[in-house]
Amino acid sequence: MTRETLANPDQQDLVISRLVRAPRATLWKAWTDPDLLKEWWCPKPWTTEVRAFDLRPGGAFYTFMRGPDGGTSDNPGCFLEVVPQARIVFTSLLIGGWRPATPWLAFTAVIAMADEGAGTRYVATVMHPDKATRDRHDEMGFFEGWNTCIDQLEAFAQPSR
Amino acid sequence: MANQTAHLSEVFYALADPTRRAIVGVLGRGPASVSTLAAPFAMALPSFMKHLSVLERSGVIRSSKVGRIRTCELKPKSLSRAEQWIVEQRAIWETRTDGMSAFVEKLHRKDLSND
Repeated sequence: MTRETLANPDQQDLVISRLVRAPRATLWKAWTDPDLLKEWWCPKPWTTEVRAFDLRPGGAFYTFMRGPDGGTSDNPGCFLEVVPQARIVFTSLLIGGWRPATPWLAFTAVIAMADEGAGTRYVATVMHPDKATRDRHDEMGFFEGWNTCIDQLEAFAQPSR
Repeated sequence: MANQTAHLSEVFYALADPTRRAIVGVLGRGPASVSTLAAPFAMALPSFMKHLSVLERSGVIRSSKVGRIRTCELKPKSLSRAEQWIVEQRAIWETRTDGMSAFVEKLHRKDLSND
């Protein structure tokens, strides 16, 4: 695994890139089989329950995470685009069947995988609302959700190896 | 603004490392001495001190020495709320992506040994 991270501090987009030493088919399997996805979606001791995984545009993608101290993180969402072995796009702004939602954390994530040498280039691009939208969310109590996020980060921050 | 941007990329750099994220996680529960912080990590103290100094330079933590004991704590005002938010999102996705890479590489090794 090679770490390469592009910091885009001026933008609301995160671009996270890794060269994974495994074939694309294996990476695709780990992402699209819910029994495998729940093994890596959040680091232990947090656990992931995959409540819905309907891998098609408009299909529900719903994860629910539990921490050791009773903390939880509820993340319903919706797949927007699915290109087998290449690309998955999902968002928290819709739930299954394209139904609009008002998530505590608004984002759309684009997951891309491509062959590179003997391995696979994996790029996750996570897009967040612009500052004005975020400030509005802030006024609406958005940061209550943000506290959940901090609790979660603390768990994520534990060594996962 | 230019200064702010430079500062934010230092914070990104500081939190891009799993050891440093773990340190921040522990300090999230309150100040701790260097020896308490270092105990769970299987690394030499000088290497561990390097991680602490990266965190301190980026302004994520601060430390003070009383007698022979150096205590570290988070600097909560080091970033605006909006900046903290995006830094945390990055830390979450970095950690998740590391977890996925390690999992996929293990899965691949298992596939190979089953052939």
